[in-house]
This record gives sequence, C-alpha cells and structure tokens, in this order.
Amino acid sequence: MTLGRDIPLRIRAIEALSPSLKRIAFVAADGNPLPGSRPGAHIALTVPGIDGAHRNSYSLVGAHQDRTTYEVIVRRVAQSRGGSAQVHEALRVGDVLSASPPTSQFNLQNKAKKHLLIGGGIGITPFLSFLPVLRERNLAVEMHHFVRPDEVTVFERLLLPHRMPTMRIHAGRAVGIEDILKGQPLGTHLYICGPVGLMQDVEAAAYRLGWPTSNIHQESFGASGGRPFIVELARSGRKLQVGENQSLLEALEAAGLPVRSMCRGGACGECLTQVLAGEPEHRDHFLTAAEKSNGDRIMPCVSRSISPLLTIDI
Amino acid sequence: MDQGIKSRPKYEKLRRDAAGRFHLLLADQAVIPPDTLDHDSPVGAFDECWTIERHSKAIPEADPNARTHGFRSQEHMLIALRHRLAREHMGLRLYAVGTEPFVWAVHGVGDEQGLGHSEMRLNATGSTARRVYCNHCRTISAGVTTSIFQCTGCNASLFVRDHFSRRLNAFAGIQIDAEVPGDVPPAEELYL
Amino acid sequence: MPATFKTDETFRGAFNYRNSDEAILRFPFPFTEDSYMYSVNIEPHVRGGPTGAFQAVFDVDEHYVSECRERALVLSQDPNRCIVLPHMLAAEWDTLELIMESLAADYPDHFSLTRDGLQWRWINRPLGIDDTFVFGDPSSLPFPPFEYITRQAQGDFTLQDQREDNLFVDGGMVTTQADWSLEFDVGMSFHEWHGPVPVAHDLGVFDRALQFLLRIQHDHPVRRLNWTMTVNPRLDTSPENYPIWGPDRTTITPENVGEKLHLRVELQTLFRLPRSNAILFGVRAYLASLNELVRVPKWGRRLHRVLRDIHPSLAEYKGLPRYHQCAVNFLSEYDDGAVTSMGIAPDTNTLS
Repeated sequence: MTLGRDIPLRIRAIEALSPSLKRIAFVAADGNPLPGSRPGAHIALTVPGIDGAHRNSYSLVGAHQDRTTYEVIVRRVAQSRGGSAQVHEALRVGDVLSASPPTSQFNLQNKAKKHLLIGGGIGITPFLSFLPVLRERNLAVEMHHFVRPDEVTVFERLLLPHRMPTMRIHAGRAVGIEDILKGQPLGTHLYICGPVGLMQDVEAAAYRLGWPTSNIHQESFGASGGRPFIVELARSGRKLQVGENQSLLEALEAAGLPVRSMCRGGACGECLTQVLAGEPEHRDHFLTAAEKSNGDRIMPCVSRSISPLLTIDI
Repeated sequence: MDQGIKSRPKYEKLRRDAAGRFHLLLADQAVIPPDTLDHDSPVGAFDECWTIERHSKAIPEADPNARTHGFRSQEHMLIALRHRLAREHMGLRLYAVGTEPFVWAVHGVGDEQGLGHSEMRLNATGSTARRVYCNHCRTISAGVTTSIFQCTGCNASLFVRDHFSRRLNAFAGIQIDAEVPGDVPPAEELYL
Repeated sequence: MPATFKTDETFRGAFNYRNSDEAILRFPFPFTEDSYMYSVNIEPHVRGGPTGAFQAVFDVDEHYVSECRERALVLSQDPNRCIVLPHMLAAEWDTLELIMESLAADYPDHFSLTRDGLQWRWINRPLGIDDTFVFGDPSSLPFPPFEYITRQAQGDFTLQDQREDNLFVDGGMVTTQADWSLEFDVGMSFHEWHGPVPVAHDLGVFDRALQFLLRIQHDHPVRRLNWTMTVNPRLDTSPENYPIWGPDRTTITPENVGEKLHLRVELQTLFRLPRSNAILFGVRAYLASLNELVRVPKWGRRLHRVLRDIHPSLAEYKGLPRYHQCAVNFLSEYDDGAVTSMGIAPDTNTLS
C-alpha cells in the first residue's frame, strides 16, 4: 500500500557486493528529512527504462530511524523484465528516482517469546533491519539463511555487524526445515523471506507441524495486484491501462487525475467512485454486500475489475 | 435482560483442530459430559486429557506418556499446566471445558506461556455464576448469581454488567446507587 | 501558544476552573451539523484546523500546568491508572520520542530536546523539569518512559498492539477519562473494549474503524472528535471514582446548569509508532461550561438542537438523563431558530 506522495531520492552511493548484488544508498533529493521508517519496511522504487518505468519494492536495510539515508540491496535477476537490470546497469551516483514512502506489513511481533527468521538469498534484506532492533531489545532470536554456496562469503559479510551464536548461514538449498521448526517453544513467531519456492516450502512445513497462521509472517511486499484491465473515464472518453502491480487508484493518479483518497486500504470510503459499465472486483471493507452486488460503486484504492473494461464516472 | 453489550465470548462444543499437532484437553470435572464435545470429536480424539477429581488423594500419573491425568483442584491442575507448557513446542492446541471462570483461568495460563487465541478453544458449560470485579475497590467476588450484589471488598451494591474481561476472568461490577445513595433496585437471580 | 499558564486550577473539591475568552474561541466544538450520530469521522491529523485546538500535534493550552498537577494527584491516589504490559516496552520509548519531538517543535519556548546519540536532554520549563537520560535505558529516568512523558502531557493515552489482524489495548495512562476503566480493559481487543457502546456495533462502525486503524502508516496520524457532558469541570470521571462523582449528576438545577454543566470534548489522535508498530491513541479532554459556550451564538444554537434531538440510547450511554431536560431548556433561550453554518468554526472572533 503506498501513500500517493512519492519522494524524490538521489543516489549517493552504489556498492557492488557481488556480481549480482548491489547496495544503493539514497538521500532526499529535495533536502528534506526522509519520512520515518520502521523495521521491515520497504519502498517502491520507480526505475526508468527503455520500455517504460518499472516499479519494484525493496526492503530498507539500514537503521530504521535514519532520516537522511535509505539503503537497499538489489539482486540482478537474470530473466528480469527490466527493473533490476536497469538498477544494475543504468543507474549512476547522482541519479534521481522517485519512491513511495516506506510502508510495511512485515513487522516484528511484540508478544513473541522468540523470533525465528528463515530466509534465502536476497530475502535477507528485511531481516537486516530486524536484527539490530532484536539485539537492542535483547530478545530470543534464531536465524537460518540459505544461500548459494558461492555467495556464502558475501552474506556472512552482510551479517557480520549483527552476528550472534543462534544465527546460521547454510550453503545450498533449504533442507532440514522441519528440524528447525520442530522443538520451537510456544510463542515462537516465524518470519520468512526469500524466493517463492523457499517461502512456500517453509510455510507448508510449519503448517504440517501445526503452527497457527497467526505465528507465520511472510514478506510479500503487500502484493495487491491482479489481472491487468482497462479503465474508461466516462467524462473524457480516455482509456487507461491498469497494470498487474498497480491499483486502479494508482493508475488514475499516474494519469494526473485528482481522485480523493485517505486510508488507501479500502476502509474509509474517501475514494468512492461510480461505476457506469463493467463488473467491479470488490476487495474493500467499506461497501455493504448489497452495494457490492449492485456493482455501481467501487473503491479504486484496492478494488479491481472482473471485466476487461471498466467504465467509471470520472 | 439483554444489556446489549457486544463482544461477549461465544462458546460451542469443542472440536479437535485438525491443523494442530498435539491436542491437550482440560476439564473441571472427573467425567467430561459428552454433549460438551462435538460428536466428531469425542474424548478419545484428543491426545491427552486432564480432569479434576476433587479429592485430596488424586495425583497425576508418573508416566509422562500417560493419556489421562487426574488433579485435586483447579489450582493443582494449573500449576502443572504452567510447567508443562513451558516445556511444550509449537503445534500444541489447548482445549478447556467447564465453567466460564475455569476455562478462562486455563486460557490465562496458556496466554502467559505464549499460546495465541487460535491455539486455544474453550467451551463454558454448567453454572453461569460469575466472577465479578468491583471497579471501585478491585476485589473480585466469585460465585455471583444475582444482577446486583454486595461487594465482598468494600460493601458497595454492585450492578453486574455483561462486559467481560478475559484477562481478569471477570465481569465488571459498578455501584448501582452511586448517584443517589440507597436507591438500590431489587436483585434478580440471573446467573445460575 | 498559551500566553500564561493558570497554576491554581482545581478539577475536584471546590473546583477552580475557567476558560479565558481565547480558550473558548479555540475550543474544539464537536458538532459539524445540527444533529449527532456515530460515524467513523476520521480525518488526517495535520497542524491546523477549524479552531486553535488543532494547531499542534499535542495541544498545550492555558490549563497545562494545572492538568499535569491533577494527573499527579490522581496517580498518587490510584497508581493503577497507568498500566503498561511488559511486551509494550518498545512502544513506551516510541511514545516518549514522539511526544518530546512534537512538544519541542510546536512550543520551542516551553520545551526543548537536545540529543547526542543516545544521550538526551529534555527541558520542560512550565513544569521546571531538566532531565538528562539515555534513550532506551529505563533506569536513567525517574519513571518508566511512557509514564514519564505522559505525566507531562494533557489528555489520556493508550498503547495498542497490532497482532492477529486486530488491535489490543495493552497499556495506557488514563486519568481524565469519560467513564471507562483502563484496569478492566487492559488486554482487550478492539471490539471487546468497545463492547458497551450502544448502537454503533450494529452500524458496522467498529468493523470499519478497525480496518482503517490497522492500515495507519507512520508520519500519517489521524484524528476525530468525541463528546459527552460532565457536571462540574471534573477531569477524573473514572468508573473507579464513580461513587465520588456520581452524586454530582443530581445537583443540576435550572439556576446552576449554565455554570455547572460542561460539554466535554475529546480530541482523539492516532499515531503509528515506528519501532513497535503499535498505535498510540491520544484522548485530549476539553471542558467548557454551557455559559461559556453560548457566548458563541452558533454553538449555543447548535448545541441546543443536538441535545434536543439526540437518540435516547445515546443520551443514556453518555450519562445525560438526569439533567438532559434542564440543559435543553437552558439552551433553548439561546436558539432563535436561525440557520447555523456547517462545520465547527465559531464564525466570530469575539464573544457575546
């Protein structure tokens, strides 16, 4: 969930950690203090490219209370559509990009008796902001991170400032997950971040061992997308593409249309818009069941379209 | 009389949670009435069952693999529960059947030992007599069956509300004649 | 910024409390129209609003010193009016940081915060405090961090832990409440602690409010107004002390209603806290007597209409029945039937 007011970030430094990993440090391009962040937060970065802009989310890896610098680590994905390729090849120190303010749905649990972090590869990034906070609060932590054998050194270096005896870097594919999960005391919370396959495997193993959903937390960067569709603006006749990783509200805002919004989470009613044609896919908490089945209203901040074309009264 | 207070706990027959790995059932009687459990989830469906025998010679089995254990009283049982949960592992589900004060006392120990709401299931049955927390003097009086009663701590005539605190395991009691001292309506026997 | 602080006000016993003309004009009058029903009337909490009460992140007014003294008095007589469950320690530091930063930014003449790494120095001139401490080390402060800073702020505060897609009130400093008990409610979920509120549950108000609050982001606080009425300018109308203040409700007469009956408005603010991901809920109470309020003609008219037409179960829940008619009769003298503007602003710079 983004907050609509992107911030301009200037690249202060780029550091190659390995052939496919780069750490990038940003400062505010307008000289203002950066919006406050918190452990586990991420920003959505807009990276310009030849075939259009790409918007990817990256966890902030630095000290969460730092208001002058944001740091991210980006993996160059071999078959990427362009976002990470652009980051690795085209960006230079001094470039200015726009980013969403930090948001987070991946948060440390205050009531946890123990925090168990399991991750893989680039999934280490949100953990890098968790670890200093967990240590500062002297909390029970256990961490298992699975990386390619040729990257063990890189990741050990990344974890060096946060090193603790209950932390292990494993070379190779994630195996022995059940052994890690078995025998964890009551009140342990599990945080998972890494390649989709690893996250699914760890989650499945936890469920097999009887862990409840409320104790399993995964970083999905608040994935809120869906099938792309076309929105037609009745008053002007304009048609806009709503991309799979973009909300209807974001598409309207990107096109310069002044749609009111407040919570951007489907709860407050502020962005209520009339639907004139097409079938909305409701994902909000505001409309009543009757209003939803009538199909003449939509909350663009979270809802999408079942029909390929949706006509709204804007 | 429905005070219209929403959010009271709702209870249903206990059913083993298929997603759990180990199922521990606690009851406040020696024999668990079958109609307090879902018919698909009889006592035998649970891995272990603890009961309260209510006599002084009851003692839990020495064999840790025993499937049933009998205790002398609620207090005797909860001491053992605290120690057991401290050694337990994720995947456990805790179930309690008995009076409302009993099941929430079990819930309190579970919460203290790290169990979350979804890992505990409660069925309050039998007497609906209430524990009432006097909001003025903080004394909790047990076994209250009437709508108005005299606080055992400060003597105030308390109206027993339907607002329930799971943490305190008690309903709120507020002085009924605070505005006009002496103006106390007749009490009704409601919570039997 | 208050010109001077009243230092001898009392909110009990002989009651010594008045609002200056300026305080009346900046009052957060809660009614935007001539009738009242519950709603999720939330808006962004920005510096600035329809009256002066909305200028700062945490409003400090002429009653600041007296209210802090009253809080200390309540706590000395009942320490459990401040409770924080152990797992909320990170939220305590988050709160201390937020309130100190905000007060120092909004009132630099009264408060200052200087930081050298984790070594902080906090100066509160109106209360004569000058403390140096280590941020993160509770032993370096005279009170636990949440209690320490909320003893220096007007209004109540609660800490809500976000977990299981829900909010739990796991801590608070509650000495100026309109009749709810922190000790009873601590640990409750959102719907549980709102259990006693009539009507609103059926309207789905709490379902939507919860969904909204779960999504509040850092640096984007929100606010809303709530209201009730209090006999005498008494801040501590706790259920704990109901036996003490309850009889006040029977003392209203047509002769004294203008002076004794007060509109009690809560400016409620909600902040997402950074380290703990918890929500800080501020409940800032303002009191103004009917006599004071009717000096703003629009407010006199509107208050009459709201009270005259209020839903009976709302009136019951807000404790109005004993003096409801008396209040409506008094206010009817100030309602000439003229049209009142939407919104809460007084529409005047001077008082009648």
